[in-house]
Order: sequence, then C-alpha cells, then structure tokens
Amino acid sequence: MTNVPVSHCRMAHPTTPDSIEIRPNSGLFDLELDTVWRYRELLVVLTLRDIQVVYKQAALGIAWAIIQPVFAVAIFSVIFGHFAGMPSEGIPYPVFAFAAVLPWTYFAEAVRRSATGLVSDAELVRKVYFPRLIIPLACVIAPLLDFLIAFIVLFGVMIWFGVMPSWRLLAVPPLLAIAAMLALAVGLWLGPINVRFRDVKHTLPFMLQIWMFATPVVYPVTIIPTQWKWLFSLNPMVGVIEGFRWSVFGKGDLNSVSLGISLAAIGLFLIGGLIFFKRMERSFADLI
Amino acid sequence: MSQHIVISAEGLGKCYRRGARSEKHDSIRDALAARAGALFRDRRSENAEHETFWALRDASFKIARGENIGIIGLNGAGKSTLLKILSRITTPTVGYARVTGRLGALLEVGTGFHAELTGRENTFLYGAILGMSRAEVARKFDAIVDFSELRDFIDTPVKRYSSGMYVRLAFAVAAHLDPEILLLDEVLAVGDVTFQRRCMAFARQLEQQGSTILFVSHNMFSIKTMCQRVIYLKLGRIAYDGPTDEALRLYEADSKLATATWFQAPKDPAIVVTDIDLYNEQGERKTMFEFGERMKVRIGYRALKPVEQPHFLCSIKRADQVLCCNFSSYCDNVDLPHVYGDGAIEVLTPPLKLVSDRYTVLIAIREKGFQQLVAGQIGVSFHLRHEIFEATEFGVFHEPAQWRVVQSVTGQMEPVRGLR
Repeated sequence: MTNVPVSHCRMAHPTTPDSIEIRPNSGLFDLELDTVWRYRELLVVLTLRDIQVVYKQAALGIAWAIIQPVFAVAIFSVIFGHFAGMPSEGIPYPVFAFAAVLPWTYFAEAVRRSATGLVSDAELVRKVYFPRLIIPLACVIAPLLDFLIAFIVLFGVMIWFGVMPSWRLLAVPPLLAIAAMLALAVGLWLGPINVRFRDVKHTLPFMLQIWMFATPVVYPVTIIPTQWKWLFSLNPMVGVIEGFRWSVFGKGDLNSVSLGISLAAIGLFLIGGLIFFKRMERSFADLI
Repeated sequence: MSQHIVISAEGLGKCYRRGARSEKHDSIRDALAARAGALFRDRRSENAEHETFWALRDASFKIARGENIGIIGLNGAGKSTLLKILSRITTPTVGYARVTGRLGALLEVGTGFHAELTGRENTFLYGAILGMSRAEVARKFDAIVDFSELRDFIDTPVKRYSSGMYVRLAFAVAAHLDPEILLLDEVLAVGDVTFQRRCMAFARQLEQQGSTILFVSHNMFSIKTMCQRVIYLKLGRIAYDGPTDEALRLYEADSKLATATWFQAPKDPAIVVTDIDLYNEQGERKTMFEFGERMKVRIGYRALKPVEQPHFLCSIKRADQVLCCNFSSYCDNVDLPHVYGDGAIEVLTPPLKLVSDRYTVLIAIREKGFQQLVAGQIGVSFHLRHEIFEATEFGVFHEPAQWRVVQSVTGQMEPVRGLR
C-alpha cells in the first residue's frame, strides 16, 4: 500500500488562515464573483466534461455538431425556401438560413443546458460545495465548440454558393458573446425555477420553438410590417441574428441603435439573473 | 487555550419546511393550488411550528486544530445537516460559524464521477470538484494511480469498473486532497475490508499531520478508535459534547427500549419489559462484543397480572434490518410456569458468530401456546466485531470450515497446514 503524501511545506507554515464565514444571509449585491474566479479550474473541467460527454459512444461523434444544423437548414430550404418561396435578400436560401440557424442552434442549446444543468448535476449540488454559478457558465461555454465546427461548414457552403467572406466576419465573436450572455441570463432565471418546479424542462422545447419563429431565422426581417417592427425589436435575438447575416453577407445594415438597446436589456436581465440565482442558490441543496 | 480554533460555531440552526424534501418534484400547478387554498383558510390556525422543523438547532462548539471529533446520533438527529452547513453545501437558517483552513468534505465518495469518462479523465474531474487545481492533480497523478492500484484500467471508462474499483479510484483522489480540516460522512462505511483499513490508515495519517477530522458514523468501533471527543446530537440539538466514552454511554442508554413498531400495545398490558441489559459471560456490562464472545441478555419485566407459561423470544436484528437469529424459551424447552410481579430473565447466548456490525436486541413475550403477543420491545444496541468480515458483503454469520487442497488429478491429497 502506498502512503498518502504529506505536504510538509504546509505544516511549516501553519498560520495561513483563509477563513470562511458561514452565516444565513449575504448581501443582495454580494455576488461572490471572486469565489467563482477562485473556482475557475472547476469551470474549465466541467466545461471539458460537458464537451467530452455529449458525443461519447455516438458512432458519428462530433459530426453531429454539423449534421443537426445541416438537416434543419435542409428542411427549412425545402419548406420555406422552395414551397413557400420565402424571400432571402438575393442570397441563396440555404446559405441565408444556415447563417441564422448556426447562432440560433448555439443559443437554443446554451439555454436548454443552462436551464436544466443544475438538475442534471443534482448529485454534485447535494454533496459538494462550489459556487453554483459554475454550472450554468459551463453550460453556456461548452456548446461553443459545436458552433465553431459548424461555422467551418458555413464557410464551405458560402464558397459553394459564391458568397465571399469579408472583414465584417470580425463582428461574429462579439455577436456570439451577446448570444452567450443572453443564454446565460435566461439560464440564471430558469435554472433555479427548474430546481423547484420541473415544469421548466417540459416548457423549454416549445418556448424555444416559439422564440425561434419570433426571430428572423427562416425569414428576413424585411417581411415584418413596419408598424410592428418596434415590437419585434424587443426580442434581443433579432439584433444578434440580423448582425450575423450582416457580418456574413454584408447585406442590410448593422442597426447599432437596436443592437445597443438589446445589449442594455440583456445586461439588465443578466444582472437581475445573477442576483436571483444567488438568492436561490442557498436552497438548491435542500430542494433539488 | 493554546491551540488554534479552526472551527467555531455559534448557535447554528437549520429549519426545513415540513415536506420540503418530498415536495421536490412538485409542479407550478400544485404550488398555485396550494396558494389558492391558503387564501380560504384561517392563517392563524396553521401553526408555524407544525409546518417547519429544525433539523439542527442551537449548535455551538469550538474545535481546535488537530482534534478528531466523532458526530453521533440516531438517523435524523442532524449529523449530516451539520456537515452540510460546515461544508457550505447549504446555508444555516440562523447562527454563525467560522472555518479556518483548507477544508475537504467527503460526504460521499465519488460524487461527480462521470460514467462515460475514463479513470484518467475522472481523476481530473473529481480532483477539481474536491477543490484541487489541475496542476495539483497532474503533479499527484502518479501517486493517485498507484494508491488506487488501477494503473491498467486508468484509460477505461469508469462505467466498466466494478463498484469496488470505482470507490478505490475516488478515494485515491480524495486521499490526495491533503486537507487541514476533513469532514467525513459515513464514507468509511462503504467498500470492502481492505478499503476500510486503507481509510482508517488514511485518517490516522491525517491525524499525525495535525489535521482536524469531523467524522459522522454509526460505527461505534471507528468512533472509539479514532476520536477523543464526541458530539452527540439528539433531535437536532447537541445532547452531549465531550469525551468519547461518556458520549457512547449516553448514546447507548438513549437508544434503549422503544416499543417495536409491529407491536400493538394493549391498553392494560399484562406484562411490560422494564429493562434490557447486556453483559459478557463474566457479568460485566458491555455494548461491544468480539466475534465468538457469548452474550448475556438480562430482561427485566413487570407482570401486572399473572401470566401463565409465557414464551420469551430474544431476537438479534442487524442495522440493515436483517433478522439474524432468535433465541426462544419455547424452542429451548424452558418451562416458565407462572410470572407475576417484578423479575428478570437471563439468556446466555451461544458464542456470537455474526459479522461486524451494529445489532439490536428485540424482545417479544407471548402467552402460552403462542396465543397472543403480550409485549414487544426494541432493546439495546450492541456492536460486534469480526476481524475480517464486515456486514452486507459477507453475509450474516461466519463459522470456520475445514479446508484441504486436492493436489492433482491423480488423486493425491494432502491436508493444508495452518488452515482450518
């Protein structure tokens, strides 16, 4: 039997006390983000786990990251592009749809995972301490890999249809960051509710479906009647998807005002979500 | 006090809403219905005390560096709640605590292991979950693998592991956490004997390093060997905090004599069991017996009416509710013609050949000819220690058998020396 190693250096300096205080309430705005930072290694490890686990024991493995959006685009192309004759701003419909399906797929997956992540990791929540914020964070980061892989395919599709990429592609990372923030915000609100009420899990699929059709994924934003545009812009994903099409095709323009409003709204929603999550966090282990 | 205080708790309490646990899968519809119902009910009639219960209350204590503390109590006494509060898994409802030093909490071995991942991947995952950095796990990786003795399987998904291998790897990681304060919740109760020994060796080593250990267990032998001080929790409150021997004595005294759930006590019982005490053959009072020892059970009774030819049944039930054996005055042809007033009956058991575990003595008294059950008592608990065999893995009892090796097919046989 091997002995457990003893770290002598620790014993030589016995007084390096990092004291933890345990009390019933923390302040409303004490989000303990410093603790999250100290647990960043766990965030990395849980993110890696989420990436590794998704396609384990799937014969096609990571190819699923491509197959799923490609199939969605194929169906949309046949139904909306071909049968319904949906306008697509002079771009071949498949490319038009693909450029929006990609960020949407990422967003939907990030929302789905971050809203249900706490419950899937119930064992951890019950038996181990760590800042619970790590779980939705990992859930939002892990599907980025799928996005990156599918994005390479988008490149191929663009070239196939003769759409040339440009410097505007530099807008993709910030747009993706906005989508990630929104997904995290939604996850921070829905995750704690899902701990208490498992209804969230059942509501999510059709909520996301409705949200998708309220976002210009399969149709261009130009088909919305002018008097309803304002209502439409309340959906923060509109700015993200439109921005995406702009950065890929250079068609339309990046509406900086509506994007700015979206960003502000997402920011508030996110901060509210953080406070809500933090308030609820204390009861997770008791309720989950 | 010259030593440093590493844990100090001040009036810690945790209040749960009654049924909060069972309600966990409730739906919004139920919650709305309950709200609506509450509108039509008189609020004052719902006594808040009935809706809530304190899993832990007024827990105050100070623990100095290097102390090994056992936490004992019946199920639901608040032991796990206390550990969960100290490890920050849940927050207290009231009170305050300060923990100084690197804290490791093992409330379960292997929480967070992912079945699809390999042993190697899980080592890093579990290390991070326990609070180690990636670099730290990488540095200790070889030592962890050696400790687990799973080098050949380290790149196999853990879903192909046996439960023993699984626990071994998890424990190997946990053992390298190198904490200053360790909270252990019954984790030593899993695994086979080798594993248990290893756990004890690990705990001793931590002890020698000057680590502080808080240790929840039902196994009074482990408590006795490991801890100098015991906190005894009873219904959420600290009933006793002090030297181990006294705490164990109180605990044993409290876990005595409760009416068995299967026994429907009549309104005016003819006979009641007033006392059950355990002695060894020499007549010394004991609650811990060695394998092969004989036990004397003394049953004190008070017969309020004359009872003709009662049958006494003394049963031994294991902690996991397995009824292991019965000693029956009827089967042993003992004639107890007439019982009235105060008295006692003694049963001297044959050498106890049961595996290591906690057992409870049950007493049942029947009227002549098994007509009617007149008394049913859950009595004292005792521990039995077998050198090697632990419960659940090794069945119920152990008797030495005779062994010999059949050397070859030619039929040459030789007895093996040293084995019986």
